[in-house]
Amino acid sequence: MLAACGEAPDDDVVTDVEETDPVDDEVDDDEVDDEPAAGADFRGCLVTDQGGVDDASFNETAWAGLQQAEADLGVDIAVLESNSEADFAPNIQAFIDQDCDLIVTVGFLLGEATEEAAIANPDQDFAIVDYAFDDDYDNLLELVFATEQAGFLAGYVAASMTETGTIGTFGGINIPPVTVFMDGYLAGASYYNDEFGTDVEVQGWDGSDGLFTGNFESQDDGRNITDTLLQAGADIIMPVAGPVGLGTATAIEDFGEGKMIWVDTDGYESTQFGELMLTSVMKNMDVAVYDAMAAVVDGTFEGGLYVGTLENDGVGIAPFHDFEDEVPQEVKDAIPGLIDGIIAGEVSVDPADY
Amino acid sequence: MSQNTLAPAAQRRRERRFGLFSLLVLAVMLGVFASSTRGAQATFILNDARGQLFELPDLILPVVPTVIVLSALVAGIAARQFTRGFGSRAVVIVGVVALLFVIAFLTWAAAGGQLSVVGLLRGSLARATPIAFGAMAGVLCERAGVINIAIEGQFLAGAFTAAVVSSIAGNPWVGLFGGISAGVLVAFMLAGLSIKFQADQIVVGVVLIVFATGVTSFLNTQVLSGNPQLNSPTRFASIAVPVLSEIPLIGPVLFRQSLLVFGMIAAVIVLQYGLFQTRWGLRLRSVGEPPKAADTVGIHVLATRYKAVLLGGVLAGIGGSWWTLDAVGQFSREMTGGRGFIALAAMLVGRYSPVGAFGAALIFGFSDQLATSLQLLRVPVPSDLLLTAPYLVTIVVVAGLIGRLRVPAADGKPYVKQ
Repeated sequence: MLAACGEAPDDDVVTDVEETDPVDDEVDDDEVDDEPAAGADFRGCLVTDQGGVDDASFNETAWAGLQQAEADLGVDIAVLESNSEADFAPNIQAFIDQDCDLIVTVGFLLGEATEEAAIANPDQDFAIVDYAFDDDYDNLLELVFATEQAGFLAGYVAASMTETGTIGTFGGINIPPVTVFMDGYLAGASYYNDEFGTDVEVQGWDGSDGLFTGNFESQDDGRNITDTLLQAGADIIMPVAGPVGLGTATAIEDFGEGKMIWVDTDGYESTQFGELMLTSVMKNMDVAVYDAMAAVVDGTFEGGLYVGTLENDGVGIAPFHDFEDEVPQEVKDAIPGLIDGIIAGEVSVDPADY
Repeated sequence: MSQNTLAPAAQRRRERRFGLFSLLVLAVMLGVFASSTRGAQATFILNDARGQLFELPDLILPVVPTVIVLSALVAGIAARQFTRGFGSRAVVIVGVVALLFVIAFLTWAAAGGQLSVVGLLRGSLARATPIAFGAMAGVLCERAGVINIAIEGQFLAGAFTAAVVSSIAGNPWVGLFGGISAGVLVAFMLAGLSIKFQADQIVVGVVLIVFATGVTSFLNTQVLSGNPQLNSPTRFASIAVPVLSEIPLIGPVLFRQSLLVFGMIAAVIVLQYGLFQTRWGLRLRSVGEPPKAADTVGIHVLATRYKAVLLGGVLAGIGGSWWTLDAVGQFSREMTGGRGFIALAAMLVGRYSPVGAFGAALIFGFSDQLATSLQLLRVPVPSDLLLTAPYLVTIVVVAGLIGRLRVPAADGKPYVKQ
């Protein structure tokens, strides 16, 4: 089962990680060249949320981190997909029973189940993506991402590229790890408006509520919601809904014009709709998961909070690929300054400030 | 068609019940919509964002006066429902009340904002397509006396097979053939178990759903996720009928759709004519009523039932193909999301007729699409709640109409020749 899941995407993912992340390369050199099988006795296990491990987005990226660990460190890896919320706790328990050294749970929705398991099994190491608990636990690493920072850059670029003066976004479910993307996107567009005196409107998110499909599975819902946004005049759309975003691509193809912004991974590489991708808001979960696994192998694993930011390359935006020549040079030139400003706290990524 | 033979007293009671419904609607319209402070005007955009022959002006309605006019109409209808009544048109009038309510609701929802009418109607029709195909499959089976609750399973099998076959062949037509074959295969199992072996048809249906869900999910994980080239089907492109698609409003709604949408409308017309105007249809319906009579006049009951179920499989297979050949170019686990059951509801609400099923499918498609459109208007209702709209509508419509349904007499009863 693992071989079947892994083979084809594996190559892509590995190149992707190496191209986009310098931090990872360092780790590679240390670990791979000296001790190719340092982690031979270790086992990394992943529980997905309902999107499935091949969602070209969220779960797949976290899984790619473990696959990378398998390739570099020689650890044994396994995955369990959750069909519904009722599967979360049993899946985690199944991995506890299988002597996993690290159990990675992917997604905000698994928060409660993971916390309960971590309390009940103090000797078992856990890492959860997208959930920061009120309390810290020694055996539970919380991997969260300041995606609003990268979303801001995407919103800024989208505002510069829209021909209709309207850009759009929608989410899967109205939960913080989703809406932070939309917050940043809205703030970036507002910042662009302030800077250039334009009046670009963002449809689908107003800082508190907006458009949601209500799930992370139905691509048909994604197509439909996108068609609604296109009819409302939006010409650049950022779906923050895992595989549901693929429905956006088909809606744009049917409509005949429009661009989209992918999230979590570089959609140019991970989907078959590269020609529509203006850019992608990348949340480098694969690196964070890989590092967590490497820490377990090294014996340096610690619980607590990790926040991926622009500064530590935990988040970022992808290259413009096919749109490289169309994005205005002044916008491209402005981005490094914006990144510095966001890191220094001088540029606000909170839409409430605009 | 067949329920207008109620006794006068029952007729009066029913009219009064409809009158209470009208009063309830009226209360909501006046209490909630007319006292709205969301904005003075509601803007309905009639143009397609893609462009058309000539632009229509936006329809701008003053919210409160519009709602009051609509409320007055409903009040008038209620008054007559309580006094003279509408006689044979009573049910139609309930539909009119519901329509007036929806218009008032949309006016209230769009107050201070803009609603794209093209997007709303186009999306409704597109989303009604698989439901209508599934409901027609149900009509064929049950008219012939075989209960088919396995539509969801036929959808899933069709969607999966269509995706794989279209990916390999690189041609959506071949993919559609694959989807149809899968639908027919499930139908064949249903027919075999329920007609030949006379198993309980409800149990068979449930088993087939579980079977199709399991097999497609298993193959998806084991085969498709490792071989993405098997799961990138060529889709039917959206077709714009020359000239007609340029007509404002109705052009983009009716004439700029995918092939399967056109196919669905054609199927509704052909099937409605076939079932009720041809010898084939009469024979099919006769084996669903006490089939002994049909047998006596020389109609081969079992063969007729087999053919009906298999033809239903063709339609359900096309409906399933909609997901992977029209909606999105990729199969994902359980992607049909329970629409097979909504198709079943559409069949019942449509009173076992293709046109009725189509109408019911439109209602479900509309409420589905409305949930999306309303979110964009920032209606003061949480988005999570709005997304339940299609299911609420299903419950209300089914509860309101099922009670007075005439089921084919031999529906679900195996036939044994004596």
